[in-house]
Amino acid sequence: MRLRNNNAATYHGFDYRKANLTITAAADNSADASINKVPLNKGLVSFRGYNLTIPVFIAIGVLISLAVYSLAANRFPFPQMVIDAFPFADWINDGRVWLEANLKTYTRAVAEVVKVPLEWLEETLWTLPWTVVLLLLVIPALAYGGLKLGLLTFFGVLFWGMVDMWYEAMSTLSLMAVSVAFSAILGVMLGIIASQSDRFDAFIKPILDTMQTMPAFVYLIPAIFFFGVGATPAAMAIIIYALPPAVRLTNLGIRQVPATMVEAAQSFGSSRLQMLFKVKLPQALPSIMLGVNQCIMMGLGLAVLAVFIGGGGLGEQIWKALTRLKVGWAFEGGISIVFMAIIFDRLSYAISGVAKDQTRHVGPLFRLLPQKWDQNSLAKAIERPIGALCDLFNNIGAKLTSLVATPLRFIVPGIANVFSNRPLLIPGLLILIAVYFLATQFKWMNSYPRELEFSIREPIDFAINWLTVNPTFIGITKGIRSIVFLYFLDPLDSFLTGLPWWYVMGLLGLIVWKSTTMRFAVVTTTFLVFLAAAGLWEISMFTLAGTSVSVAICMLLGVPLGILAAYFKPVDSVLRPILDAMQTLPAFVYLIPALFFFGGNKTTAVIATVIYAIPPVIRLTTLGLRQLPTEVNEVAGSFGSGPLQTLLKVKLPMASPSIMLGLNQAVVFALAMQAITPLVAGLGLGKEVYDAMSTADMGKGLTAGIGIVLLTILLDRLTQGWTQNQQKALGL
Amino acid sequence: MKQTLTSVAGALALAITVSTPASAGGLVNSAVNDWTGGAVMCEIVHQILENEMDFKVKRIVMPSGPGRDEAIRAGDLDYGCELWPSYSTTIQKYVTEFGGDGSMLKVADAGVIGVSSYYVPRYMVEGDNAPAPDLKSWENMNQYADLFKTLETGDKGRLLGCPAASWQCEDNKRMELLGLNYEAVELGSEAAHWAEMQAAYKRQEPFIAYAWEPHWIHAALDLVKVELPAHSDDKWPATGWAEDVTFNYANPEFAEKNPEVIELLNNFRLTNEMQAPMILEVDVDGKDMEEVVAAWLDNNEDTWKAWMPK
Repeated sequence: MRLRNNNAATYHGFDYRKANLTITAAADNSADASINKVPLNKGLVSFRGYNLTIPVFIAIGVLISLAVYSLAANRFPFPQMVIDAFPFADWINDGRVWLEANLKTYTRAVAEVVKVPLEWLEETLWTLPWTVVLLLLVIPALAYGGLKLGLLTFFGVLFWGMVDMWYEAMSTLSLMAVSVAFSAILGVMLGIIASQSDRFDAFIKPILDTMQTMPAFVYLIPAIFFFGVGATPAAMAIIIYALPPAVRLTNLGIRQVPATMVEAAQSFGSSRLQMLFKVKLPQALPSIMLGVNQCIMMGLGLAVLAVFIGGGGLGEQIWKALTRLKVGWAFEGGISIVFMAIIFDRLSYAISGVAKDQTRHVGPLFRLLPQKWDQNSLAKAIERPIGALCDLFNNIGAKLTSLVATPLRFIVPGIANVFSNRPLLIPGLLILIAVYFLATQFKWMNSYPRELEFSIREPIDFAINWLTVNPTFIGITKGIRSIVFLYFLDPLDSFLTGLPWWYVMGLLGLIVWKSTTMRFAVVTTTFLVFLAAAGLWEISMFTLAGTSVSVAICMLLGVPLGILAAYFKPVDSVLRPILDAMQTLPAFVYLIPALFFFGGNKTTAVIATVIYAIPPVIRLTTLGLRQLPTEVNEVAGSFGSGPLQTLLKVKLPMASPSIMLGLNQAVVFALAMQAITPLVAGLGLGKEVYDAMSTADMGKGLTAGIGIVLLTILLDRLTQGWTQNQQKALGL
Repeated sequence: MKQTLTSVAGALALAITVSTPASAGGLVNSAVNDWTGGAVMCEIVHQILENEMDFKVKRIVMPSGPGRDEAIRAGDLDYGCELWPSYSTTIQKYVTEFGGDGSMLKVADAGVIGVSSYYVPRYMVEGDNAPAPDLKSWENMNQYADLFKTLETGDKGRLLGCPAASWQCEDNKRMELLGLNYEAVELGSEAAHWAEMQAAYKRQEPFIAYAWEPHWIHAALDLVKVELPAHSDDKWPATGWAEDVTFNYANPEFAEKNPEVIELLNNFRLTNEMQAPMILEVDVDGKDMEEVVAAWLDNNEDTWKAWMPK
């Protein structure tokens, strides 16, 4: 199973994606072995050199299904008797009542451990002068990420004040800091255990899979019963929700330490514990930090949804705006979250040291502009004073550091190292203290001055309003909506729900068997029987139809966009920040505009899902094409192939494993979105989860949540199987 | 390094926080509604508690509903304002007056009386080009069903029903029993419901939708009620809704320990007419809710002074 929140991959190029791919491989090694046997690339049917086996099978399958549909549509509902005998949701609720009666005192006691630091930090951040908080974030950003990250952090933090959400941002910041700290510590500990014991690893893996695919809402319902409402229960839910990536990546990092290194350490006679803490853990640090980074991104996602249990902060602002249809207000809150996500993401990435640029530059080092412009004279002219200023500050910093560190060395031996490796530490502290005391004198430094507020609500509201009434635009949206509904969604909905349940189960089992393994086909069928017995058959089919249509649209739009971005740099540089924002902007924010434009119906839910799930398709298509060796062009060209031919016949097939991975990601993302789309009339399992959230019905929520988990695991493995088959067919 | 800095800053901040004086009346955790009317209601109580009775109020905003009721039962929240009995699925379980076990205490009527019905925009029924001049009662609904047809509803008119099934509005049952050629659609969330209405209104498109009063939507859009058969428990859902006599509610243990807060809630009454201008100021004029309430308290001292515990 792959990490659901893939934002990190967006910012830093290859390392993250590789890590993700490795996780996939590591997590699914069980399936790997047997996939070799799948005889998909034999080519039973071929035409002019194209292998048509799969298309022919698909065509036959569709024809048979249509025949079955015309004969047996809606005549085979799943037997009610079985559903009545399997009141799964009631069992969960009974269990919940029992657990609540017996465990509540303990869960509350655990929550106290989180409550104390959380309340302290929130109070602290609220009372600290805003300039001090700003510096607390900007100085580490400067120290670890350089001028660019420093400036980004500066504007991000300033933005919270600009849009008058300073205190809300502080609440979310403290919620995030405390819950991620707990989650990361717990996750790393569990990861270490998992790396040392294969048994524990095997035990925890399916749990982590389930946790990562369970809709976020499902975590909030038990939180009400066991931890109450407010920020502390929200923190508890985040700690649990954000745990899996930290566990997984710690485990992975430790297990991937090169054998030669382990052997070397063994030959020096290190004990098992020494080996773990002195050799393996330091080696695994980049991977662990990546886990912490993912943990942060997942945590932020839930921090917004936590408004459903009174979590407060920016999520509350966005929710209030949403219920009052104030789009501009919601966007301000959403962009505040995006800034927080980017700052956290890049800062943790920078601190982890993974980002250290190893390449040597020939020309002058650029601090603000892209290094690749270093031949451009205008860029050089801009960079020169910046570089001089930075050097000046660094020199002053170094002088100050040695001034303070020299006498300290006599008091605390070894402290000199701490300072000399961190030239900004001493000056940073001095500036902080200075600002702190200045803030007691100057009001504008203490609380964010109103004169500096700069709301972007009105232009956003104006633009949205203009589009809502613009006849051309609404004509287009209505056209899209009709096409999607009439030709995709509605037929597939009635087709899937109308087919006899036993036929769908058999067909899916067959597809899974052919694409992966017999064992997983059996597992799949068991999943499906569970769904049907829990009374979720029809709505599962709705979800399947909605997800399939969303993913199909993602592919239809995403692959061409990805190709464009791979061929044309400007397209890529325009797309990149948009995709970043699409993935970090809380979905709440764009649901209302989507409704204004497309109206409340199933199609709007599909469109919202596409917005959320399309970025990985675009990214991985671009990546797949870019990764191809440059010789491909030359070789194809020497055979007289034009650019279009090269793309269609050589490059796309070669990039297809990466594109298939994009498909897989789109599936996982689309299913993750299912619990959010009910806010705009989405149907299916997600609606059950959402309804359960608003009625605090844990049984219903968990059952439907399990339904989503099962569908995700099923589609994830299936698309992974396709990716691997494709790789195999290409001999990769 | 960040940790070092944070701890230094923390130490500094601790010095400040220690000197904050503690509240004499204690801390109350209040459930704040996520809709403006209900939030205004609570905010009046909060400001009186804070300014006049030395309480410190922690305002916890979350969607109202069973989740919040569970929190009040458990004592995580102390009290809540303006509960609408028609839409609460838990009062029958928890509130004694409705046959519940008493784990949630009904304090007193809040003063707001809620009315739910179907509504159409005024441009549909009034004016020279009004497409449905007689659409003021359910009896004429069939006549205009064609106006509301959509892709999804086929031959039937589309009625924007209650956004959530858990509200038990039974719109589709009502259509069936009254023999109306409409299909009620459920948009999933209140936000989606209002957004759909607002977008259609801006484009001057026809729509017929469930709504209630008092609500800010009536301040934003000019809506006209479609009369339904008078409410009757026996014939429900072939009738309109009962009037919703909203009430304030609390955790029973909290009530026992804080009689003065309960006395305030008990005396407190805010009628529809009193609430409506505040909703307008917040949602249409875009003013800050705290400021609107503070201004109301300044101008209506006689009213709220009478609510104060003796």
